[in-house]
Amino acid sequence: MNSNTKKPRTKLQKRKAWIRNTWALFKETKVGLVGIGILVFFMVMALASFIPPLIDDMYNPLYGADPDIITATPPSWKHPLGTDSMGRDLFSQLLEGTKWALIIGVTAAACSVVLSTVVGLLSGYYGGAIDSILQRTAETVMTLPGFPLIVIIGSILRGVNIWNIVVLISVLGWPGPSKVIRSQVLSLRERPFIDSARISGASDARIIFRHIAPNILPLSFLYMTFGVTGAILAEASLSFIGLGDPTTVSWGMMLQWCYRAGFIYRAPFWVIPPGLCITLLALAFYLIGVGTEQIINPRLRKR
Amino acid sequence: MSMLKYVIRRSIEIILILFLIATLTFVLFRLMPSDPAGMILDPHRTPEIVERQRELWGLDRSLAEQYFIFMRNLLRGEFGNSFFYQQDVYDIIKEKLPPTILLFSSINVLSFAIGMQMGRIIAWRRGGKLEYGSTVLGMFAFSMPVFWIGFLVIWVFSFKLGFFPLGGVKTVELWSSTADTSILMKALDILYHMFLPLIVGVIISFPGIMLMMKNVMLETLGEDYIVTARAKGLPEKVIRDHHAARNVMLPMVTVFTLSLVGSLGGSMIVETIFGWPGLGAEFLEAAMNYDYPVAQGAFVIMGALLLVAILVTEILYAYLDPRIRY
Repeated sequence: MNSNTKKPRTKLQKRKAWIRNTWALFKETKVGLVGIGILVFFMVMALASFIPPLIDDMYNPLYGADPDIITATPPSWKHPLGTDSMGRDLFSQLLEGTKWALIIGVTAAACSVVLSTVVGLLSGYYGGAIDSILQRTAETVMTLPGFPLIVIIGSILRGVNIWNIVVLISVLGWPGPSKVIRSQVLSLRERPFIDSARISGASDARIIFRHIAPNILPLSFLYMTFGVTGAILAEASLSFIGLGDPTTVSWGMMLQWCYRAGFIYRAPFWVIPPGLCITLLALAFYLIGVGTEQIINPRLRKR
Repeated sequence: MSMLKYVIRRSIEIILILFLIATLTFVLFRLMPSDPAGMILDPHRTPEIVERQRELWGLDRSLAEQYFIFMRNLLRGEFGNSFFYQQDVYDIIKEKLPPTILLFSSINVLSFAIGMQMGRIIAWRRGGKLEYGSTVLGMFAFSMPVFWIGFLVIWVFSFKLGFFPLGGVKTVELWSSTADTSILMKALDILYHMFLPLIVGVIISFPGIMLMMKNVMLETLGEDYIVTARAKGLPEKVIRDHHAARNVMLPMVTVFTLSLVGSLGGSMIVETIFGWPGLGAEFLEAAMNYDYPVAQGAFVIMGALLLVAILVTEILYAYLDPRIRY
């Protein structure tokens, strides 16, 4: 580990040193690096998703169809992963699905973690009535049957669009992390540097956001990575059972189409890639989370 | 005595949450953009017919009155009639509940048993090949969508190899009234049908518990009393099982209750793809077909089932660990 012997002077230098140290710790855990590797691979796939429709209209993931094909066909030179039963190219669908998985996963997790951080900060800092109200709410939301609830809402809305799914996932996902963040805030609140800030006349808002929040952010980031895993899996499940957005090509949607068309036990080339992608991308964020966790919680590190 | 107090307090809390779930159900189904009376009647209906149907369902009354009636009926176990089966929802639930309880509790108990054991062992042998392998595999399994692995398992074991049935809960011939089948055979038959759904459910649920157990265990191993136990020269196995693993139980209660909540959605999908005739599959189908009375009833019952499972877990642990004083 390259510890900086010289005391950093400027803010920029400090920040650079911090990044260097964190990265060195992160690199120590192989899992985190593997996670980043997989993530980069999928990011390239997502960026490439706009290319196939440019080559030929039949490569459009949603509307395109190969005129020569009337049923699901195995991989060929023209279609590297084969086509679905309507003659749409599976490879370009897979690329398009990557894009949506990243968008949905990251937005849902980000919304949810912002909510849990704010709740955790308020609950831990103010205590008293605010704390009890927020904590009882969190406990109640935690014991609600989340997935059935989303299914009911989806059924009432008669199918949901992508952003509804994002909102639902984040509204149901905030309580767990907020509890952990709250307990962290409880201990931070008693530290001497908070007292000094208060004596210097800092307002509550300043103490919360300038002094406590920066110490909480790594924890928030950790829960965000785990949240992305959850959001990707939740979106896939919803799309698969038929509550997804039919105008969006996502991996869960691809499997739903395969199931609907009756190819689920007949076309492994159609079934395996989307599921494998869901697994690997969810895994990537989980691995990054595990890497982060080992930085935040030194007790988990190798002795 | 404090135990009894705790149970009473938690029961009251759980009844309150159930009440909340019921209210939420009521509100959600009143938010429907379309008129439920328009759903089951034919499109050529006259306004008078719609009006009569609305009266029949009590939709012409005030919202407060509707809410009161809804709650009263719930307490009596009256959920109304299915739009599609022309059958009492209560009867449907009564028929579908046992398979769900059987599958759901087997999945959770087995996942917890396996997850705790594995987590304990790999935390103890940290840095070894076993730890690395099971962690990676566990994380991979944790990230799999349940329906995907379900299809792959059916495809391999039922379609290609033919080891297991494609779905359902029992072999019809064995269960007909003329067939002379012993209870043991019947039990084995159910077990044979349950094997694949159970395995898939466990594959999905146990890694989360295993990884959590590993982490909690690693944190515990840094505690002073473990060092003391080592210094006393106690055998490793005693330290692992009697000193470390026991104290890990406490944080694991929370993990288990959370995984109960999480596995509910998973077991619903497992029921659907394995054709397991349970409440979860029925609920999904009803929600997709806008059979609202069934969806509503199944939702409330599943919420209740979940809360009871959480309560039982908490009581069990309070009983097992004498230090827990709520």
